[in-house]
Amino acid sequence: MLKIEDLHVEVDGKPILKGINLEIEAGQVHAIMGPNGSGKSTLAYALAGRDGYEVTKGRVIYKGEDLLEMAPELRAAEGIFLGFQYPVAIPGVSNIYFLKAALNAIRKHRGEEPLDAIDFMKLSKKKAALVQLSDELAKRSVNDGFSGGEKKRNEIFQMAMLEPSLAVLDETDSGLDIDALKVVAEGVNALRGPDRAMLVITHYQRLLDYIVPDVVHVLIDGQIVRTGNKDLAKQLEKEGYTEVRDALQP
Amino acid sequence: MTEASRQTLLASLPTSFDTGPEWLRALRGRAADRLRDQGLPTKRTEAWRFTPVRSVVDAEFSRDDKGIASLVSALPDGVTVRNLNEVLESEPELLEGRLDLGGAPSHFAALNTALFDDGLWIDVSAGTVAAAPIELSQVVPTRSEPGVTYPRVLVTLGESAELTLIETYASNQAGELSNSVVEVDLGRNAKMSHVRVHQNAGLQVGRVDVRQAADSGYRSTVVTLGGALLRFDVRCLLQGKGAECQLDGVYLIDGVDHADHHTLVEHQAPHCRSAQTYRGIVSGKGTAVFDGVVIVHRDAQKTEAHQENRNLLLSDTATVHTKPHLEIDADDVICSHGATVGSLDEDQLFYLRARGIPEDLALAMLTYAFLESIVDRVNHEPTRERMREALLARIPHGDEIRGVT
Repeated sequence: MLKIEDLHVEVDGKPILKGINLEIEAGQVHAIMGPNGSGKSTLAYALAGRDGYEVTKGRVIYKGEDLLEMAPELRAAEGIFLGFQYPVAIPGVSNIYFLKAALNAIRKHRGEEPLDAIDFMKLSKKKAALVQLSDELAKRSVNDGFSGGEKKRNEIFQMAMLEPSLAVLDETDSGLDIDALKVVAEGVNALRGPDRAMLVITHYQRLLDYIVPDVVHVLIDGQIVRTGNKDLAKQLEKEGYTEVRDALQP
Repeated sequence: MTEASRQTLLASLPTSFDTGPEWLRALRGRAADRLRDQGLPTKRTEAWRFTPVRSVVDAEFSRDDKGIASLVSALPDGVTVRNLNEVLESEPELLEGRLDLGGAPSHFAALNTALFDDGLWIDVSAGTVAAAPIELSQVVPTRSEPGVTYPRVLVTLGESAELTLIETYASNQAGELSNSVVEVDLGRNAKMSHVRVHQNAGLQVGRVDVRQAADSGYRSTVVTLGGALLRFDVRCLLQGKGAECQLDGVYLIDGVDHADHHTLVEHQAPHCRSAQTYRGIVSGKGTAVFDGVVIVHRDAQKTEAHQENRNLLLSDTATVHTKPHLEIDADDVICSHGATVGSLDEDQLFYLRARGIPEDLALAMLTYAFLESIVDRVNHEPTRERMREALLARIPHGDEIRGVT
């Protein structure tokens, strides 16, 4: 589904990612763990196509196509979803209108008819229940006045509505207490399936107790330094990033 | 050295005024004398620094006075609308002292005072709550030679009367000048909501002058949808204790359009509140000017006054001049003011696009949401809806984002 080859990315002229190689198959959940400043969010933004994240080398093949050539909205339409670490508030744009516009833009790209208001409301009710997001929140302006937990639930709600092929979840656990974390993780797990891949980015192993990954990568200083199974996450938790990094020093 | 202003616009000022009641002839005579003496503004006039006033002052117009605003809605009970000329003929004493802009007309308002030919007087009797809005419209017909019109409206609300007034100034003709004056007199505890839409391809100078008695409330919502050159002034005199005014405005300027909005609130009495919120989007080679003044007189203790102007620039060639300021002579007051000029929030734009919304629609959503929050405060739903539609019609791809807010 996704193949990243020797990806180098600069932000403001500063190299952040220094040769990432990663391959994700449909149905898999990969986790990327790393300390602050290792380049985790940069990878997420580069995959979603944010301006200012300049790819200086390497390529990314998504479903056989060159992902880096696509505008952000085209990537979304092709099934890439970025769950933001810090979802921005957009006062004056209603959450539900925005999501309907997004869903119908994606449906249009797929050659499907737009959902009418009634079908859309039915679907959104069902999906909002998945992450226990109240109707009232769904109708407010996008993330405006939402608590940290509500913002994250709103991200997963949107993911459930848009049914992406590849979900990139950037520190979805940050700022969540344990109960909110469980709700969000259950929402994510409900969306796991044979046709869908996920890239879960996190600083802490805690999230991976609830969203159990197939593969774990350790990102340090813009490079993947180790790859393993879910036990690698536990080892990291116990030993810390410093030990893992030091163990790699020649 | 540029050529001196020719002041062509003053050419039609008569040397004497022979019709109407004595007080009106004197009023017009004083206005004309003052204009002949001082002239119309030039680019050196402080209040016109950023607006090319010469294109108005030195323009040639075929004289045409019949562009008065006309009533386009049915009259609710308790509201009377009369032609000024008819009242000036039959009961001139009713209007004496009510057409002089509080004794301080600006240049263009003085010109209107000297030259207006008829107009409307809207009166809401004490205790009457007008059940429906009154709508006035000045729509200039397309004609072979551009003319100048001097619309004049007087609005008086008796004690505890309430009215919503919607004015539309529209013209499709380039070079046409409308120089309008609206005077509003609010009795004790009267409440007025005043929506004013500018949709003008020509030149427009407009002035709204409001005098407020104790506990009265005035809410102005100005919606400016382009215009070759627009200058709009609203002045509120808070003369009675506990009076409140809210001056809101949105402007959407593109092409080479130019819009200049001035506000002036004078707190003359204690315990009054005023708030101003103007928001604009400027693109292309457009220019927007905002100049807002709050004056708090020495006796106006317990004043609360707020002022805010926010602008989004959507192109490198668009220009904004903004100058909110306060002059405070009282010591027990709460005042704030601020202005911002910025571009669209990149985080918001990316968030929308990352969900699959094409860039042009995302831009439309964000610009519309920025302005709609002002329109949303109009306290009359059908009017709100019309203002929303007017904004959507002006925003690129606006028709595809209906319902976004």
